[in-house]
Amino acid sequence: MMSKNGLHLITPTSVAHTGTSATINTNGSVSFTACQTVSLNGVFTADYDNYQVVMWYDATTTVSGTLKFRMRLSGTDNTTASSYVQQYLNVTRNSVTGFRQTTSQSELNQFGNDTCGLVANFYGPFLAQPTAVRTVTLGSDGAITAPTIYDCVTTHNQSTAYDGFSFYTGSGLTLLTGRVAVYGMRK
Amino acid sequence: MTTVNGLVVMTPTSIASAGSGNSSSINADGSVDFASCTRISLNGVFTSSYDNYMVVVRFSSSGNEDVFGARLRSSGTDNAAASSYTFRMVQASGTSKSPSDTSTDIAYAFYVDNDIQSNGNILFLWRPNLAQPTGGRVVNQDSFSSARLTDIAWTHNQSVSYDGISFISLNNALSSGTLTVFGFNQ
Repeated sequence: MMSKNGLHLITPTSVAHTGTSATINTNGSVSFTACQTVSLNGVFTADYDNYQVVMWYDATTTVSGTLKFRMRLSGTDNTTASSYVQQYLNVTRNSVTGFRQTTSQSELNQFGNDTCGLVANFYGPFLAQPTAVRTVTLGSDGAITAPTIYDCVTTHNQSTAYDGFSFYTGSGLTLLTGRVAVYGMRK
Repeated sequence: MTTVNGLVVMTPTSIASAGSGNSSSINADGSVDFASCTRISLNGVFTSSYDNYMVVVRFSSSGNEDVFGARLRSSGTDNAAASSYTFRMVQASGTSKSPSDTSTDIAYAFYVDNDIQSNGNILFLWRPNLAQPTGGRVVNQDSFSSARLTDIAWTHNQSVSYDGISFISLNNALSSGTLTVFGFNQ
C-alpha cells in the first residue's frame, strides 16, 4: 500500500496584523507577538475541502474574554450581519453552560493571561457554500489556575469561497502572543 | 506546489513501564505497545522542532474503571510538583453530566474500562517543550456503562522544557494498548 501524507502544512500567501508583529515561519506557521488582530490570507484553496487550525496563545489580561474570528476573502473580512451562528459549550470551575448567538462574527475560544490552546476544524471554507467550524479548546477564566473548556461550533451562511480568516480579541487593551498553523486535509 | 507533512510521528528515544508482568516496546512506525502496565513513560517525544502535539491512545484496563493521569517529564524524571496541574472536566454517562475542578500533582488524562480495546482517547498538548506553562486537552471515550464521554482541559504551571510524558494508573490497574505521539509541523 502506498502511504500519503494526510495533513499538509499550508503557508499563507501573506499575513496582516494590528499590534507588534506577525511573521510567517519557514515551514508556514505564523508567530505573532502582542497582536490584537491577526489575519491569514491565502490559506484556503481548491486543493482541500477541509482544514485544521492549531494554535497556542497567551493574552495580556487577567480578565477572561473571547477569541473572535471572521472569514476572509481577498484581504477583507466578511462582516455580514447575522451571518455567523455560534453555539458554545463552556465548562468552568463547577458549571456547564451552553449558549447560542447570531452575530456578524463568531468565536474560537476564550483567552486569559496564560496558556490557551485550540484545534479548529474548518469545513468547506473555499467552497462557494456555507462554512462550518468546530473547535476543541483549552480556554481560560483568566489565570493559569483557571482552565476551561470553551468549545464552539459555527455555521456561516454566506455561500462564498474564502481564502483566509482573521482572529482577534476585540479590544486594543488585550493583546495575544502565540503561534498558529493551518493544515489542509487531503481529499 | 511543494507540500509539507503536517503531522509527524514522534518515535520515543526510550520508554519505561511498570506493573506486574508488564511489557512495552517501540514499534518500527514509532507507536508504542504496552501490556499489563500501571504506568508507561515516553522519553524524547517532545522536541524544539514542534510546539504542539497529539497523543492517540487505544487501550483497555484490568480494572472495572480506571483513570490514567499524566505527568510531564524531563530527562527521565516526572514533574510531580504539588498543585502544579489544574484541570476542569465534564463527563457524560447516561443522562448525567458532571463538571469537576482539581489542582494536584497530576493531570487526569484518560478514563478507561475493561472492555478489550474499546477505549479511545486523544490528548492535545500545547508547547510542552517550551520553557513556559503547558496546556492539555483530552477528548476521551471509554466503555464504562457501555459508553461514556469525558472532556478534560488542564494547565501545568511549571515553566519547564519537557521532552516526555508519563501515563500513570491512579488505581494501580493493569492496562494494555497502543499509543502514538504526533508532532504538528510548523
